[in-house]
Parts: sequence; C-alpha cells; structure tokens
Amino acid sequence: MILIISTCKEPLSELEFIEPLKALVPKSKLVHCAQLQVKDIALAEKIIISGTALADFEYLDADWSWIAKCNKPILGICAGAQVIAQAFGCDLADEVNIGVKQITVVKQDRLAGADFPAYFLHTKGIRGNFVTLAQSGETPALIKHPSREIYGCIFHPEVMNEEIIRKFVQN
Amino acid sequence: MKLCVLYSGGKDSTLALLKAKEFHDVVCLVTLASSNKESFMFHTPNIDLTSLQAEAMNLPLIRVETMGEKEKELADLKKALELAKQKHKIEGVVTGAILSTYQASRVQQVCHDLRLWCFNPLWLMNQETLLIQIVKSKILAIISGVFAEPLDETFLGQRLDTRLAKKLVAIGKSHKINPAGEGGEIETTVLDAPCFKKKIAVKKSKINYANHSGIFSIIDAELVEK
Repeated sequence: MILIISTCKEPLSELEFIEPLKALVPKSKLVHCAQLQVKDIALAEKIIISGTALADFEYLDADWSWIAKCNKPILGICAGAQVIAQAFGCDLADEVNIGVKQITVVKQDRLAGADFPAYFLHTKGIRGNFVTLAQSGETPALIKHPSREIYGCIFHPEVMNEEIIRKFVQN
Repeated sequence: MKLCVLYSGGKDSTLALLKAKEFHDVVCLVTLASSNKESFMFHTPNIDLTSLQAEAMNLPLIRVETMGEKEKELADLKKALELAKQKHKIEGVVTGAILSTYQASRVQQVCHDLRLWCFNPLWLMNQETLLIQIVKSKILAIISGVFAEPLDETFLGQRLDTRLAKKLVAIGKSHKINPAGEGGEIETTVLDAPCFKKKIAVKKSKINYANHSGIFSIIDAELVEK
C-alpha cells in the first residue's frame, strides 16, 4: 500500500494537490498529516507527502520527527520536500518560484535521467546536505538522501512529470 | 474563508464555484472582459452575460475591462482582485483552471502578490470525468463556441447533457481533441445551476460560423423563475 500524506490545511486545496496524486496512485491510502498514526506508516510500503497551496504553511507545525527514523521509501513533493529536508536538518530559504522552469539533471537516478521542464509553486526552497539530483538554475529541484530512498521534489511532478511518481511507486 | 470566483460564465468556472461553496463562502464574482480575441487568459463568448449570471446567483460582480495584452491583462486582473479584497474582504480566489500552467501560474503569482489564497478545484481533472461531473451537478450549459474540426454549427446552442458529453468524448478520442474544450476547442455558457436562484432564458441569439469556427452569441436574455 502506498500512503499519501496530505499537507493541505484546506479540504478545497486537496482537490488540487491530492486528487491528481490519487489518480496516479490508485491503490493508495490517504491520511492528513495532523491525523497520521504510527500504524499508517507501519502498513505503508512507500510514502508520498503532498504539496499544498502557496499561502498554506500550517504543515510546518505538524510532527514530522518520524521521517528521520522511517525506513520506508519516501517522496516529498514541494511542501513534502520541505518537511523531509527539515527532518534531516536542512534549511528552508525564502525563494519564490511560480511557473514552468527548465530542470537540469546533475546526477543520474532512476527517477530522473534527462533534463526536463517542470511546474514550480513554492515560496521556500531547500538548502542543505542532501544529494542534488536535478536543479533549476543554481537551486536544488530534486534531492535525495545520501544513503536512503528518500526524495524531495520541490517542483510538482504530478503536473508535467508524472513519470517521476510512477517510477517512485514501481518496485 | 471569504472567496471570490474568477468567473467567465462557462461550465468550468461554474463547477469550480459549486465545489468552493461546499467548503467556503463565495462572496463575489470577478470577470475580466477581454477585447482581444487572441487572449489566452480571458476571452470567452457571451462574457457580457456574467452580469445576468451574477444577478441569478444573487452575488456581486466585479467586472474589469482589459485590452487583453499579455502583461496589461495581468495588471488588470490584479486591479480586479484588489477591488474584490477592498470591497468584499476576500481571502482567496477560485479559478476553473484545469491544465494550463500558463493561466494557473499567472493567477497564482497575482494571488501571492496580494496575499490571497488561490484554489483550483478542477486542476488536472480528467476531461471525461469533468464532463460527467458537470452534467451530474445539474449545470445547464450550452455550447457557445466551437473552434476545432469536426465540431460544426450543429453543436452551437446545444445543451451539454449526457448524450452530448458522450458524443464529445467519442470525438475527443477519434480526433485527438480535448472533449471538455480545455485546449480551446469549445466554449460554453451556463444558463442555470444549483447556485442560481433564477435561471436564464435566451430571448434572442445569433450564430456566426465558418470553417469549424463559430460562436453562439446571446443578444438578449432574461431571468425567469426556476
């Protein structure tokens, strides 16, 4: 079972940020980050943490301490990438990025092999000691934990790069 | 949350409005009337009907004229949303955007600049699912524009019901066009919906059509009891 964790404060935002993920990952379970329980993580094969609206920052107050101890593959999208980065001690930097930008792959990985355009929608970028797999200009766009299958995708792959989510879900 | 809906009078912005009303207070509509037929953002047949649609919904309408020039229309959108913020204390904006990253990112940028939430409840929705939801939501929409082969003048003025939705899906598959018109293949005008207190009766209309491009223009219409 793939666990999708919603970071959306507003249910109306879930139509925009969760429904497209559910369509891509049909056999998934949805839990909101504020209602997440230990058994949800235990039962999951892999975990996707969603993005949310540009004006939404409530997800930063949720308990994400489980991420650093979790031995499951995780893909964080935008807000999801931010909480993963924070869980491992990385910093969030003010960085407004809205719209389609070109992404350059700097390290080959099973999720991204060649350069591609992607849709960005965030006001906080990631800085720190994750491995940068792909970047937009000089800023990290797709990052990975140095030794674990934990990814942070600061752009929204569900919009223009569905294959990243499909590859993550595939065994 | 008090929200405004970026309203074109078509099926998508009406469905987005209905979804927003499930969770929040929709307190006004905002319409940008573009005089540029090539505008990617705001050109829609029967845009003048939004005043009657707003009256039917008993909602105030903020209407701003725009020349539809690329950067100017963004400034006009900002002006309209600033007005909605001042007059109706809106905290967020709802759009009917589905696939266009161009449209969505421009509205997102303006909302960010004005510190407003932005909601796109139809975002990335499957086109066939969208048509089914529109029919099931009891939105009475008619085809008011066709702009792609094999859509011809016989479609203009037709009601979007289950039969027509199935036909559009079949055409979408056979001619590789978006059945719900997200690529600009069709435009619609809504005459009734569950949020309408009264419905719109078309008294006079005109069809202009040539070479798989045509418009059903509503010249005169009135509100009638449902």
